Amino acid sequence: MSDNTFYMRFSLFHRLGHFLTIISFFGLVLTGMPLVFKDAAWARWLYEVMGGYPTAGIIHRFCAVLTFLVAFVHFLWLSYNIGVKNKGNYLWGADSLIPNPKDLEDVLGDIKWFFGLGPRPRYGKWIYWEKIEYLSLMWGTIVMAVSGLILWYPVQAVKFVPGFLAQIIDLPSLALIVHRYEGILAAVFIFTIHFIHTHLLPDKVPVDEAMFTGRVTEHDLIHERGTQYDMLVKENKLHELKATPPSCMASFGCKLIGIPLLIIGLVVSALMIAGLLVLLI
Amino acid sequence: MILKNLSKGDFRELKVVNGKRFLISLLSLLVFSLFFHVSVGAQENSDCLQCHENAEMCGDFGETKKARIDPETGDLEIVSMIVDQEAFATSIHGKDDFYCIDCHGDLEESEGMHNLNLKRVDCATFCHDDPAASYRDSNHVKLMKEKGFSPPTCKGCHIGLAFHQSTWGKERPMFVPYADGPEHRKMTINTCGNCHKEHLASYKNNFHGQVAALGVTTKEIPTCADCHGSHDILNSSNPDSQMGIKNRIEVCGKCHIGADEKFVMHIEHPRIKEIGFYKSLVSNLLSFKNFPEGLKKVGKDPNSYLMIVFVGYIGLLTMLFSKFGLHSLLTWFREIMDERKGKDKDHE
Repeated sequence: MSDNTFYMRFSLFHRLGHFLTIISFFGLVLTGMPLVFKDAAWARWLYEVMGGYPTAGIIHRFCAVLTFLVAFVHFLWLSYNIGVKNKGNYLWGADSLIPNPKDLEDVLGDIKWFFGLGPRPRYGKWIYWEKIEYLSLMWGTIVMAVSGLILWYPVQAVKFVPGFLAQIIDLPSLALIVHRYEGILAAVFIFTIHFIHTHLLPDKVPVDEAMFTGRVTEHDLIHERGTQYDMLVKENKLHELKATPPSCMASFGCKLIGIPLLIIGLVVSALMIAGLLVLLI
Repeated sequence: MILKNLSKGDFRELKVVNGKRFLISLLSLLVFSLFFHVSVGAQENSDCLQCHENAEMCGDFGETKKARIDPETGDLEIVSMIVDQEAFATSIHGKDDFYCIDCHGDLEESEGMHNLNLKRVDCATFCHDDPAASYRDSNHVKLMKEKGFSPPTCKGCHIGLAFHQSTWGKERPMFVPYADGPEHRKMTINTCGNCHKEHLASYKNNFHGQVAALGVTTKEIPTCADCHGSHDILNSSNPDSQMGIKNRIEVCGKCHIGADEKFVMHIEHPRIKEIGFYKSLVSNLLSFKNFPEGLKKVGKDPNSYLMIVFVGYIGLLTMLFSKFGLHSLLTWFREIMDERKGKDKDHE
């Protein structure tokens, strides 16, 4: 158990996908949120910074296409692995991101741990909240892509509404409401809950480099994902995952990119939450 | 759009005459200024500007600021009497070489100091009789008179035209914007919104208005008048109005090429953030036994379906963030506690 032994957690493919998602997600939020909070001074400022009309809209569409492409390639990879390579363990079991009975145990264990009634559960490869984050990202991407396309091509989209519903279903307006609130949900969720869970907990602060370098220390693996570690030892697969330590530059690069993005995200979500509360008052 | 035609069409003749007069006046001003310190006769713009461009000069003769009572709202305003010649030259009237006395006709014969209280400028009688007449006959004016309101005058909507009187005029007097100018379009949104408050709120909350609210009011973003028309405006429930079923396809199609019957059913002013909508919804739902028509009305209203999605999302947001917020806080708190315990053990 040392900090100098590293194990591979994320392949280059997933790290690249995550990096592109970060870029496009920030582009989408920074050009989209000014439209939601148009009455706030920061929104007008941000809109101008992002190029104003129509540049901000073009950036938004470009990032949307990028997000969609990343998600599409991910689904392609997933179906290739499940369908062609017959990796059933991606769908169910310890390696899968689909919730299973063990997650329910972990949730109950966590509740006990919160109130000091037991030790922290030994999580598997994917912790239950990571599964929720992954699944909501996939679901959210589909919702945002569909509603976004309706908003992008409203004239063409309404042609799909059956005639007898056209009087009562206003597809573009529905799409706008869905796109707006799903967007707020995604942005605030990523910028607060995801940031706290992965980067800002006392163990990790300021940046968890695992998703950028792909590597975790042995200490983190045992401490965080005890069940996975035990399984790897039992199946004698641990040595297969052994990796070289990340270079000093890579580690520095993570912080150089990660910390400003964390700050931008937290500031934007603070402004958004303030804006939502103002709407309520 | 009507304004644009007017300003370009009706004044072509005036423009030529005024252009010559302006050149002559410039030459004569040059010659006269060699001999006279103060030129005589308040006929040229330069004569007016001798005082009205110069705060000190204006102060010598009278006041650079003047109190006036707004005839529509009854508010007391302090307005500037200083004229920004550069701004006036870029305005629609200034570009056509208008004279001050073309509008302020009661000063035609005056010299030097003049009566401080001028007559209100009459836009309609000699120049803008065309939209003025159709405006006076419009449904908007008729309806307001019926309900006992005083309808807005020309300057009530074209705020920039009331040079010394508007908030904007206070900063840049004599700056009369173009009908298609973004500044003018921005002002008309607020002017309509002064009375049609709920419509302004729902407009700003929907597609076109959210961009306009960020300050983009160029012609790509439709404002009130682009959809509803301006001078001969009719209630949108009237089939002959611009938003009437007959004309909608054409009006929406100006920007949305290929707009069809289904597309124009769009609700641009959704009522999902209006308290009145929820009140009528509740009363319709409660009295459905005695008044089943009410429930039918709710079912046929597209706002009902927008409301379901909207309320659903608000609920989802509240539930999700209260749960996960608590989860993050507790995890954070416990990790710190565990760390402390771990350290204590190390010390032991």
